Amino acid sequence: MTRQNDELDPITADVIMHGLSAVPNLVDKNIARTAYSFLISEYKDYAVGIVDGDGRLITQSRGGLPIFVANALSAAVGDGLAVYGKRRLQHGDVVISNHGGTMGQHLNNVVMYTPIRTGEADDELLGFFAVVMHWMDVGGITIGSCQSPFTTDVFQEGIQFRTVKLLAGGERIEEMFRMIAENTRFPKLVLGDVDSQIAGCLTGRDMVLDVAARYGSNAVRTSVERFWARAEAATRAVIASIPDGVYRASSFLDDDGIERGKPVEINVRVVIDGDEATVDLSEVAAELKGPLNAGFQGGAVAAARMAAKYVFSPDGPANDGAFRPIKVVCPPGRFLSAGPTAPIGGSGFTIPSVVDTILRALAACLREHIPAAHHGTYSVHVIDGRDAHGQLFQHIESAAGGWGAAYDRDGGGPFRSMAHGDTMEVPVELQEASHPYLVEYARLRPDSGGIGMFRGGLGLEKAYRMMQPGRVTTSIERTACPPWGLEGGGEGVPGRVEIERADGSREVLLKGEASVRAGDRVLLFTAGGGGFGDPARRSRKAIAADLKQGYVTHNPSSGSG
Amino acid sequence: MALIVGTDIGGTFTDVVGYDTEKRSLHFGKGLTDYGDLVNGVFDCLSQIEIDPAAVSVLKHGTTQVINILLERKGARTALVTTKGFRDVLEIGRASRPLPFDLTYRRDPPLVERALRFEVNERIDAKGQVLQPLDMEDLERICRRLEDERVEAVAVSFLNAYVTPSHEDGAAAFIRARLPHVYVTTGAEHSREWFEFERSSTAAANAYVGPRASHYVQRLETRLDEAGFDGRLLIMGSHGGVLSVRRAREQPVALVESGPIGGCIGATAYADALGLDRMVAFDMGGTTAKCALIEKGSFEIQPTYYIGGYEHGLPLRTPVLDIVEVGTGGGSIAYVDRQEHLHVGPRSAGSNPGPVCFRRGGNEPTVTDANVVLGRIGSGAFLSGSLSLDRDAAVAALMGKVGTPLGFAAAAEDQVARGVLALANAQMGTAIKEVTVERGKDIRDFTLFVFGGGGPLHGVELARELGIRRVVVPPEPGNFSALGMLFAPARIDEIRTVRLDVTGGADDEAQGLAGPLADMEAHASAALLRDFEAEAVAFERQAEMRYKGQRHTIRVAVDARDSFDRLRQAFLTTYAHRYGRADADAPVELIGLRVTAIAAAPAPDLRAMHRAARPGGTIVRRWRDVCFNTGRLRTLVLNRYDLPPGFQEQGPAIIEEFGATTLIGPGDRFEVGQFGELQITISTAAGLPS
Repeated sequence: MTRQNDELDPITADVIMHGLSAVPNLVDKNIARTAYSFLISEYKDYAVGIVDGDGRLITQSRGGLPIFVANALSAAVGDGLAVYGKRRLQHGDVVISNHGGTMGQHLNNVVMYTPIRTGEADDELLGFFAVVMHWMDVGGITIGSCQSPFTTDVFQEGIQFRTVKLLAGGERIEEMFRMIAENTRFPKLVLGDVDSQIAGCLTGRDMVLDVAARYGSNAVRTSVERFWARAEAATRAVIASIPDGVYRASSFLDDDGIERGKPVEINVRVVIDGDEATVDLSEVAAELKGPLNAGFQGGAVAAARMAAKYVFSPDGPANDGAFRPIKVVCPPGRFLSAGPTAPIGGSGFTIPSVVDTILRALAACLREHIPAAHHGTYSVHVIDGRDAHGQLFQHIESAAGGWGAAYDRDGGGPFRSMAHGDTMEVPVELQEASHPYLVEYARLRPDSGGIGMFRGGLGLEKAYRMMQPGRVTTSIERTACPPWGLEGGGEGVPGRVEIERADGSREVLLKGEASVRAGDRVLLFTAGGGGFGDPARRSRKAIAADLKQGYVTHNPSSGSG
Repeated sequence: MALIVGTDIGGTFTDVVGYDTEKRSLHFGKGLTDYGDLVNGVFDCLSQIEIDPAAVSVLKHGTTQVINILLERKGARTALVTTKGFRDVLEIGRASRPLPFDLTYRRDPPLVERALRFEVNERIDAKGQVLQPLDMEDLERICRRLEDERVEAVAVSFLNAYVTPSHEDGAAAFIRARLPHVYVTTGAEHSREWFEFERSSTAAANAYVGPRASHYVQRLETRLDEAGFDGRLLIMGSHGGVLSVRRAREQPVALVESGPIGGCIGATAYADALGLDRMVAFDMGGTTAKCALIEKGSFEIQPTYYIGGYEHGLPLRTPVLDIVEVGTGGGSIAYVDRQEHLHVGPRSAGSNPGPVCFRRGGNEPTVTDANVVLGRIGSGAFLSGSLSLDRDAAVAALMGKVGTPLGFAAAAEDQVARGVLALANAQMGTAIKEVTVERGKDIRDFTLFVFGGGGPLHGVELARELGIRRVVVPPEPGNFSALGMLFAPARIDEIRTVRLDVTGGADDEAQGLAGPLADMEAHASAALLRDFEAEAVAFERQAEMRYKGQRHTIRVAVDARDSFDRLRQAFLTTYAHRYGRADADAPVELIGLRVTAIAAAPAPDLRAMHRAARPGGTIVRRWRDVCFNTGRLRTLVLNRYDLPPGFQEQGPAIIEEFGATTLIGPGDRFEVGQFGELQITISTAAGLPS
């Protein structure tokens, strides 16, 4: 590399990038401390990032959900630039969008951003500081907006704010706050979260401006360009090491909740051509009647980028450069590129399976990098009702399950899905102190991991005993296409929910709702991960250890798990 | 003679500081840590500075033994006894992946294997009501298994024991009676807060380290007795106070950060004496830099500590000072990666082979080498001349490994060295922001208190970068951790989950607070009396409060007589101060109480703790070329021991002493304070660094 024409020395550029990258992480922690809903503080259902003046991702916070690595920030800012133009996005403006048509994720995901400006002219727009956050409730037919397995269009899933200003020139637009308050079932919690989202945007903006004031905007821009160029080169180098070719894999989801029993096909092609990769999702199922759809950005691009990051650039913050060598193909009208009115309440639910299928396609050429399938689902289950004092309560949990084994190790977990990250289970003691039920057990599910030379990780079993009547809503998936093994490894055992009545009778509830009475039990089983390699090659030592620890209750090579 | 002695067993060195309360004199000793026999190292150091154990009235001991047992996984064969249905609590954890894109991610494996995790039939609900009595036959069956399995330590941790530990206590008593040679501990002995995974993990860790830690403390005590020691042995706890020998044996997990916190305690003593309400203590050593917030003379306690770090570590609910650590120190290696990005640390050249300039075989450039290149550490002046420094070798390594690969001209070593320090400072600055900005504090209101070998060298530039106006360098910054230990008070922390809605209730309902507070104070006082034969001289009472629905809490000082209205107001004020806004109408709840009881401990006189000169002595002024961010300047070099209290001078200046060098920039001013500390005022007019 030549340096003669660069005024900015490379070390200063690295110091600038260190400064910029630190900002979203600092703001991230501050939001976790001030947000109201546990979806933010424990579930980490938000992400913080900086995009440039054209909406390209500069850097993003470390924590937060992988699903936001996708394009949430860029997609929202892109729409903002189309609607307002740079000129009408000035200092102190704060814009939100959750528009299904452009962002393509369930309406709870609201991106908020504010311009980072050194002046009013277009070329003085340095970028945007953005925070995407899951709002607890944005209206629609069910509490929480996105948990109904039965919606048939986006309008049943809540209100859409397409690129509207919450603040203009630093002044709150009270009309908007009134509108938000009247369109959610939890106005206090949502407005509390919104306040912390606003504070996050403005604090982050000021911290980026501090960096710009110190080093100059041009130095910041140059540093970012170089950072992107290097991240891009690193990704290209990894892709170039993979033999050219077309790699395919398939899997499917049980159904969309409306057309019961009709599988949702996930057929994936990954084309490696030199130092570029194309993720082609053209052959996935067509747009669905039920709410498992996602728009192009929130579906196809999100899944492809997550898979790309898992494989090609797992280290360092997500950024535009690292994604440049990845092309995403998915023509309109597929369930990962659904139209603007399609139901998208469960837009995230399919993503772990899509990501896993993309990884599966690459298993043939990246043997040492790609594990067998993980449980691959959100397995969302909701218990709600009224407690002994008549107060509404709601417990929402997406389940943790087993992860896949790999060429050199057993599967890990239980963890949530690949779309989740540092997302914490709600402690049983906190649940029992807040909700009218007892958790009778929360334990590993023996024999649920796929057999193999390396065994899949185990799923979980949990029992809730109701002390008051209530309702259970479930979205359990992947029961017909269990987590696959690789190279001869067995499948993980799929998950399910059972309702056990006080009289001992049991019914399975995969996608749907059921009333429960005091004394009934809700039994959750989550899937194990797939196994890797021929089970006959599993070491005696590993078999003995599994039996001793009770991870497996019988010799796995003598029968199926 | 009455000596107060602090001893600190660190990863590389064992340090001893002795303070003679009659002669008001200080003695320092340093030796390599003897891993074969940690206790030996202590005695070696004592004899090195000619301290007779019989003359010591108080010996305060800090050790990294507990954290080492945990990190090296060399603890006891440990079992866990849990509530029926919950034996996998240690393995399921919170099911989170702090490294979201690592397909191979695993948390560190549990300290107790599944085959040694036993379930007992018992159940208490969230209100403390017994749903299922403790099944003694079950326990007897488990005890037989524990015997068969030759278990050395047992942790008992039951669901909802934070509300009522009666079943845990009952089970522990039974096992202790039945298996007298087995080390037994319970979850609620360590934490009365909710969250079953964190509490069980704490109990398991305590059991795991218990037998060895207990043996170690006992042996130290025996060896001291044999040497004629007639004083009091106290063990440094992670919470910033000392523990009695007995408590250290019962709760060794409370020693997990016993080593590194001495400096923070010392900083607190100076904060009090200097009347500094808002201070960041910054300790830069060879491999890491650590910082902690000290407000109104006290520090924060971490809600949860993670063994070996948050990303993979197991949680502990034991009070640990809230210290943020970053892998940047004097020995941190600067290198260029394949993407041509510069990195500094976390890999360190340590003391062996050490920086290139030490000429002990190191060939990778470090932060220290960059400082030598710039003339900030004087060649030959390091450790008072006992170590000569090779600047040419440092320049060659820096340019060979960093400058040339990044395309710098051959003569640009100053620029490259400044760049390495700029990145190191940026990393350390981020850690300081984590303890301030991330917690809603305005960093510019704080004083930076710097120590450790590298703190005084980097403090002024860090302060300038962060907008901090004042830097304080205490006496003996290089030995400050062991020295700080001398100030550690006897301290007991009681923390409990207590839930109160402070929104709507009538004021007399606030008496809900008086009961638990009185109980906790009585408990803490009894512990002080039992452990130290001392009365509590001060109580700190804090409530963990939040808006209803929030998960994170803030701490608010409380009093047993507080009305709900007072509690709310205190919460709103603290909240608004921290986050710039507070909703006066939203419901507020209290979810926990903490009581800290402190007993006076014999502490040295701060005025005698320095080696500053008396007024009127000779002050040797030397000069050398030092490169600052604005370029090379002829710079005044002073010996710290020449400077009397009241001495003032303007930067640029370098102040050298044993184990540390203080760098003062052009335009900055400094003065030697009454306790021998350097008070540096940062110039706001100085040009920004490149």
